[in-house]
Amino acid sequence: MERTRTKEVKTRGVVLFAFNSSKYNYADMAVYTAKRVKAFLDLPTTLITDVDTYKTILDDRKVFDGVVEVEPDLTNIKDQTSWINKGRYQAYELSPYDETLVIDVDYLVNSDTLLKTFDLSDTFCCHSNTHMLMHPEAAQEKMGYTYETLWATVIMFKKSERAKQIFETLEMVQNNYEHYAGIHSFIGGVYRNDYGLTIALKIVNGHTDVPSDYIPWNLIHVGKNTSVYPNQIDVQVPCDGNVYDFNTEFTIMFDHWKKSKVRKEYMLIKDMDFHVMNKDLFVGIMNG
Amino acid sequence: MGVLFTMDTTKLIKDAKARFSHNSAKAYLQEKYKSKLVIAEQGGLWNADAQTIGFLNSFSDETLVVIDTFDNPVKVDRLKLLESLTTTYTNVMTEWNSEWKELERKR
Repeated sequence: MERTRTKEVKTRGVVLFAFNSSKYNYADMAVYTAKRVKAFLDLPTTLITDVDTYKTILDDRKVFDGVVEVEPDLTNIKDQTSWINKGRYQAYELSPYDETLVIDVDYLVNSDTLLKTFDLSDTFCCHSNTHMLMHPEAAQEKMGYTYETLWATVIMFKKSERAKQIFETLEMVQNNYEHYAGIHSFIGGVYRNDYGLTIALKIVNGHTDVPSDYIPWNLIHVGKNTSVYPNQIDVQVPCDGNVYDFNTEFTIMFDHWKKSKVRKEYMLIKDMDFHVMNKDLFVGIMNG
Repeated sequence: MGVLFTMDTTKLIKDAKARFSHNSAKAYLQEKYKSKLVIAEQGGLWNADAQTIGFLNSFSDETLVVIDTFDNPVKVDRLKLLESLTTTYTNVMTEWNSEWKELERKR
């Protein structure tokens, strides 16, 4: 009798969180990022959002493989307005994929590099180090006086007991954020996912480092005094689907201040992902 | 998206009298290609760098236990890993060299 063994097929995809604020339309950023994810990583994207935010992008809903509506947590106040960034711990529970990449909507996917993260760990990994474009000597950010910050900008996890434990711990840290702010001597008040993740992962690992939890290359940031200009426009390929030929080359310009005088410096980058900390800048890139 | 125009970055650079930053560009290239040199194979994670390739080349054994980038001792098929790392190294470094030469032209 012939025997066959079927190999279990794991599903892979990207999860984006987007909740509009009075200042920014994060849903538009999510649509743009999901299109880039499709173009560069060829992965489906699930959007986690709230009802009001979702209403603003109904015309673009086909960009997403799925949309999960949740109750927004409005308790995080930044600059006198709600900044809905809590609830990232729900990624584990809400992701429909066996293997998931959680990406910030202001992370510009510009290569297939992130696909490699699936090879790095059987459970979980995130960035532990950053590189600031045009400011290569910038120091790593510290969380208070204790740990160097880990980054929640890109997280890869696979459905597993350990990943579940990390996200459950993240929820616990979020719920007790002020307590941990006191322990680690950082200013509480506004919840930061990066700090939440740093504390949660350290707790799960017994306050030691597990090298395979860290992506072995740096998270590229576009920081202060830095502007990004696309060298070409994104072109929609004429066909039935929603396919784009995305620009991959950017001019990075930096204001170098010295003795109250500014000197402009620039460089060109191509085929490399980067995280844009300034949301206005990201919107500018989206709009060419 | 519906973008109809884009900024002329060449004009922008000229108008701003901006200076090309070789140091930043060099650092960017290093960051970009560092990630491309990482490969996962035979249950370990490897850097396709001169040190690892040289180390694998210095043995004649068919199998070898090598410490990977996560500090795990991994038993590997030496020649198979050597071939993968050499191929990755050659391809990535060729690309890196070509982009670096483009950068040098701006000097």
